Amino acid sequence: MIRAPRRAARLRRAGLWGLGWVGLGVAMLVWQVVAVVKHSALFPTFTATVSTLWQMLTSSFVTSDLIPSVIRLLIGFAISALIGIVVGLLTGYYRAVREWTTAFFDFSRSLPTPLLIPVALVLFGLGGTMVVVIIATAAVWPVLINTANATAALEPTLVDTARCLGLRGPALLTKVILPAVSPQIFAGLRVGISVSLAVLVVAEILGGSSGIGFFISSAQQSFQITASYAGVLVLCLIGWVADSLFLLVERRLLRWQRGIVGGVHD
Amino acid sequence: MGGPDKAEKVRASSSREAPDLVAFESVETQVVSPAVMGNFRSRRNVRVRRRLRMAGGVVIAIGLWELVSVTQLVSSTALSSVSATAAAIGSNAGVLFSAVGQTLEAWAVGLAIATVAGVIMGALVGRSRIADALTETLVRMMRPLPSLALIPIAILVAGLGLKMTAGLVAFTSFWPIFINTRYGVAQVERLLLETATTLGLRGLALIRSVVLPAAAPLIASGFQVAVGLALVVTVSVELVGGTGGIGSYVLAAQQGNAVANMYAGIVVGGFLGWVLNTGFAGLFRRLLPWANQREGSE
Repeated sequence: MIRAPRRAARLRRAGLWGLGWVGLGVAMLVWQVVAVVKHSALFPTFTATVSTLWQMLTSSFVTSDLIPSVIRLLIGFAISALIGIVVGLLTGYYRAVREWTTAFFDFSRSLPTPLLIPVALVLFGLGGTMVVVIIATAAVWPVLINTANATAALEPTLVDTARCLGLRGPALLTKVILPAVSPQIFAGLRVGISVSLAVLVVAEILGGSSGIGFFISSAQQSFQITASYAGVLVLCLIGWVADSLFLLVERRLLRWQRGIVGGVHD
Repeated sequence: MGGPDKAEKVRASSSREAPDLVAFESVETQVVSPAVMGNFRSRRNVRVRRRLRMAGGVVIAIGLWELVSVTQLVSSTALSSVSATAAAIGSNAGVLFSAVGQTLEAWAVGLAIATVAGVIMGALVGRSRIADALTETLVRMMRPLPSLALIPIAILVAGLGLKMTAGLVAFTSFWPIFINTRYGVAQVERLLLETATTLGLRGLALIRSVVLPAAAPLIASGFQVAVGLALVVTVSVELVGGTGGIGSYVLAAQQGNAVANMYAGIVVGGFLGWVLNTGFAGLFRRLLPWANQREGSE
C-alpha cells in the first residue's frame, strides 16, 4: 500500500529531473543556433566555447588561475561562515547585543561590497589576500543575518524547557539552539557561496594578478573572446558544483528535521 | 490514500530550487515576552530603549573608526578620519549627488526590466509543472553564475554606457525575482485555487486576484534581494568600466590618492544602499500586511 506509490513517486521525480536536463540541452542548442546565425566575432558558438574550455583545462590555466581562485573562494567563504554563525548566534540570542548592533549591521550589509575593493587595494595591495578579504566581507552578511533572525525567532518555550532540564552554556548551544536554527544557517550559507563567487570575479578583475576573473578580463583585453566565454563557463560550473555539494551536505545533515518540518508545514 | 501522496508532494517541493530567503525584519516584530511585560515597562519604553541602543551602536562604530584613524592603527594613506570624510562629503556634495543620480538611473532601469520579466515568466512557469521541471536545472546553473563575470564581455558587446549597465543589472536581478515568483506561484495552496475556481475565477482573473496576492510575500522578498544585487552590479560595472556613478568616483579617488574622497564615496554608497533596502522593506510591510502574519502563524 505504501510501497507502490513511493516507487511511482521516485519514478516521477526521476522524470522531472530528466526534464531539467532536457531544458538545459535546449538552452545550449538555442545558444548554438543563435551564434551560428549571427556569425559574430563577439558571440562564439557553444561548441567553440566548450572546445576552448577543454584546451584550457589541459593548459597552465588550471594551476595559475583556476586553483588560486578556488582556494581564495574556500578561505574567504570559510571565514565568512565562521564569523557569520558566531556573531549571528550572539546577536540573535542576546536581545541587548542585537539592539546595539542592528543599525550598524543594517548599514554595513547595505553597502555594496565592491565599493570596498579600492580600500582593500590600498590596504593589501594586488593579489590573493585582498580577494579573500573582499569575499569574507561580502559573504558574511547573508550568513549572519539569517542566523541572527532564526535565533531571535526561536520559540522561547524551547529554550526555557531546555534550561529547566538543566542544559546550559555550550550544551544548550550545541544540543538545542544550533540544531533548531541550522536550516536557516544553511540557507544563508548557500546565498553566501553565490555572493562569494560574484565578488571573487570583480575583485580579481580589479586587483588580481591571477585567478579566473583576471583571466576573463585579460582574455577580453587581448580579444580572445572565446576564452573569455569559456572562463565564464568555468565559473558557472564551479557555482553549480558548489551549490550541488551544498545541497547534498544539507540533505544529509538535516535529514532528521525534514520529516518534522514537512509535517508541520503541510 | 492521501497520506503517502501528500508526503511525496512535500519531498518534491523541497527538492525544488529554494527561494532566496530574506526575512522581513522578523526581529523587529517579535512579540515582547510576558516576562518583560511583567517589569512594568510599557511597550513604548522598550521601543525607545531599542532606538537609543541602535543609535548608540552607530555612535560607537563611528567612535571606533575615529579612534583607529587617530591612533594611526591603520595608516592615514588607507583610512581617513571621520571629520575629514565628513568634510569631503560636504565639499564634494555636488559631484557626489550627480554620481548617485547616475548610479540610480542604471539601477532603476535594469531593476524595472527584471521585475516585469521576472514576475511574468515566473508566474507562467510556476503554474505549469512541466515548465517548472524543464527550467529547473537551467536555473540551478544560472543562479550561482556570477553575472559580474560577464562585465568584460558585456563591455565588448554593448560598449560602455547605460544600455550595457542596465542590461547587466536586469540580467542579474531577473533571477531572484523569477525564482521567487515561480516558487511562490507553485506554492499557492490547492484549496485556495479550487475555491476560487469554484467561484468562477479563471485565467487572468484567477492569477491577478488569487495567485499573485498569495505569492506576493515571496515575490517581494525576491525583489528585495534584487534591490541589493542590482546596486552591487551597477557599482561593479562602474568600478570596472569607469562609466561614471559612485563606483567610478570611489575608484578615481583611490587612484588619485584622495583618501577622504574615497571614504566619502563609500559612505554615500552605503547610505544609498541602506535607504533603498530599508525603504523597500518598509514599503512592503505596509503594502503586504499579510506577509508577516503568515510567517508569524507558523
